[in-house]
Amino acid sequence: MPKETIKRRTDLSSNLLGFCRYLRSKGFTIGPAEISLMLEALDRIAPFETPEAFKESLAATLCRSRRQQEMFGELYDKYWKELDKAVNSKRIDHPEEKPQPSQSKKPSIQQIKNWLYGNKEEEITDIATYSAQQTLGQRDFASFSEEELGELWRVIQQIARSMAMQANRRWEKTHRQKQIDLRNTVRQNLRRGGELLDIRFRRPKRNRHKLVVICDVSKSMDLYSQFLLQFLYTFQNVDKKIESFIFSTSLQRVTHALKGYQFKESLQRLSQEVNTWSGGTRIGYSLQQFVQGYSRLLNKRTTVIILSDGWDIGDTNILEKSMRKIHGKAGRVIWLNPLAGNPDFKPEVKGMQVSLPFIDIFTSGHNIDSLKALARKLK
Amino acid sequence: MLSHPSLDKVREMLALQGYITEPSIVMSVFLAMELKKPLLIEGPAGVGKTEIAKVMASALETELIRLQCYEGLDATHALYEWNYQQQLLQLKLEEKSEKSLKEKEKTIFSDRFLLKRPLLQAITHDQSPVLLIDEIDRADEEFESFLLEVLSDWQITIPEMGTIKATHIPQVIVTSNRVRELSEALRRRCMYLWIDYPDFDKELQIIRAKTPNIDERLAEQICKFMQEVRTMRLEKVPGIAETLDWAQALAALHIDHLEKDLVESTLGIVLKDWTDIREVSTSLSELFEKVGVISKIE
Repeated sequence: MPKETIKRRTDLSSNLLGFCRYLRSKGFTIGPAEISLMLEALDRIAPFETPEAFKESLAATLCRSRRQQEMFGELYDKYWKELDKAVNSKRIDHPEEKPQPSQSKKPSIQQIKNWLYGNKEEEITDIATYSAQQTLGQRDFASFSEEELGELWRVIQQIARSMAMQANRRWEKTHRQKQIDLRNTVRQNLRRGGELLDIRFRRPKRNRHKLVVICDVSKSMDLYSQFLLQFLYTFQNVDKKIESFIFSTSLQRVTHALKGYQFKESLQRLSQEVNTWSGGTRIGYSLQQFVQGYSRLLNKRTTVIILSDGWDIGDTNILEKSMRKIHGKAGRVIWLNPLAGNPDFKPEVKGMQVSLPFIDIFTSGHNIDSLKALARKLK
Repeated sequence: MLSHPSLDKVREMLALQGYITEPSIVMSVFLAMELKKPLLIEGPAGVGKTEIAKVMASALETELIRLQCYEGLDATHALYEWNYQQQLLQLKLEEKSEKSLKEKEKTIFSDRFLLKRPLLQAITHDQSPVLLIDEIDRADEEFESFLLEVLSDWQITIPEMGTIKATHIPQVIVTSNRVRELSEALRRRCMYLWIDYPDFDKELQIIRAKTPNIDERLAEQICKFMQEVRTMRLEKVPGIAETLDWAQALAALHIDHLEKDLVESTLGIVLKDWTDIREVSTSLSELFEKVGVISKIE
C-alpha cells in the first residue's frame, strides 16, 4: 500500500532524527548538514542490502572522530533496542497511541523521551572529543597514575607541537641575509627590463628570544620539572633557543645532554643523578652558582623561567641577592610554583617571599592548562 | 569508468587491488565517492591509509595527485609558484623589444610561467582525479584553514592572473596520524574513517594475499607475534607494512616456523627504534610463551 509505505518512511526518518538528537546529547556534532548527508547516503544505498549496511552508512556519515566511531556501535544498538521496546509496548498497551504515564512500568513514549533527553548528566562524563582533554587539562600532574603518565606525555607533546607550529611559520621581509625573495624581486625589477638591480630578500620569521629554564628536580618538584622541560623542548625544535639547568642541592647545566634523541630517558637519568647527593633543596646556592657561572647567558631578550616551590634549607640572603641579579640582567623572570595551583595557596615560604619582588610573572605550571597559558605568554 | 559504483563493486574493486577490507571501510569509501565528499582517514602509521587513495585512483581509472604535508608547508608548495628563472630569461629576450611594461607583465604572468603544485593541478585536471592530502596533521593550522577554503570553494585566486575555477571536483582523501588534533571545521567538512591495526584474522588474510608462498603455520605465528608486540608500550608500534616485510623476508628464507634466534636476528625488520628492539628482545621468552612458540632448547 502506498499509504502504508509513506507512513513507514516518515516513521523511519523521525526515528532517525531522534537518533541524531540522541547522538548529539552524547557529544556528537550533528547539524542539518550532517543530517542531510546521512539521508542522502541512505538514499544511495537503498534498498538496504543488510541491516549492517544501514548501520555502517549512518556511522560513516555521522561520526567525526575516532572516539565517536568507537562509541557509535553501542549507542546505535542501545537506541534501536529501546525504540523497539517502545513500539512493541505501544501496540500491546496503547492502541490509541496515547501514552498513559501513570499506569505502566513498561517503557512508554514518555519514558523514551526522558531517556532521550533526561539523563544527560549521568552520561556526560564519557562524551565528546574535547571534553576529555579539557578535564585532563585541569588535573594536577601529581594526580596521574603511572599508566596515565604515558598518555600525558603524548598529549603534552601534541599540544606543544601545535602551539609551536602556530608560533613560527611565516616568512618575513628582510634586508640582510640569506634567501632571495624571487617573487618580490621579479616584480620590483620588471620596469628595468628584467635587470636584477634591486634584489629582495626574505628569511623565516625568527623569534630571537631566548629561554633559560632553571628547574627544581628535588623529589616533590621532579615530575613538574620534567613536564615543563618536555613542553618547552618541543618548542625548541622550531626555533627558540633554550638553555636548561636542573638543581636540587647544586646546579647542573643539562642543555646539551637534553639535545639528544632519547629526551625523556636522559632527563630522568639526569634528575636521578642530581638527586643522589640530595639532602634538601638549596635553591639560593644553586641560583648563586647560576649567576656566577652563566649570567652571560642573560640579556634583555632572555626570559628566565624558574620552577620551584621555594623551599630552601640554605641562606635566603643568597637567594635574594641572586634573584636581584637575575632580574636585573634578564628581560623577564617567570616563576612557576606548582603549589600555586591550589586555590588556598599563599606564598608564605621565606624563599618565596624574598624572591617575589624580582618576579615578573608568578604562576603555577602544575597542569596542562597552565602550561598552555605559559606558552602564550612566551610568544 | 565506473561513475556509479554500487557497494558490491567497491568491495570487488578493493579486493581486486589486493586491499583487504572491513565493511566500515567499504561503506566509507563508497559513500565518499557517491556523495563526492572528502574522506578524512585517521589511524596509526602503517595501517594502509594512503593505500586507500591509491586503490581508489586505480579503481576509478584516474590519476592520483598527492600532496605530502610537512612542517612549514605553505601556499607556494601546495598551490603554485612562478617560474622565476624562465620569467627572467623572457624579460632578457624582450629587452630590446618595444613592448610596454603592461604587455611584458602579461607575458610573464601567464600559464606558461606558472608552476602548478598539487592543489592547482588537481582542480585544473581534465578528468576528476583523486587528490591525496597526506599527513595533514604535520602542516600547521594556518595551512589547514587555507585548505578548508580551497575545499569549499574549489577555486584558487592568483593575484597576477585572476581566479581559476575547478574544471572537475577531485575526489579528496585526507590522512592524519593524529600528531595534533585537527580543527572541528575540517572534520565537519569531511566524512570520517578511523582505521586501527588489523585484528588477527584480517592480518592473516593480508599476509596470505600479499605473500602467497608463505608457510601456513609461520603466517599464523607471525600474526600472533605482531598482535602481542602491539600491546607492548613501544616508541614506534609496527604496522602492517612491517608485518609484510617480515613475512616476505622469512618466506624468502624458506622458514616454516618462528624461533628465538631467528626472531632476534630479524627483529630490525619489525622494529625501527633501538629502545624498542631492546625492550622486545629482553621479553622475548615471555612473548613466545604467549604466542605459543616453543623456543629451541640450547
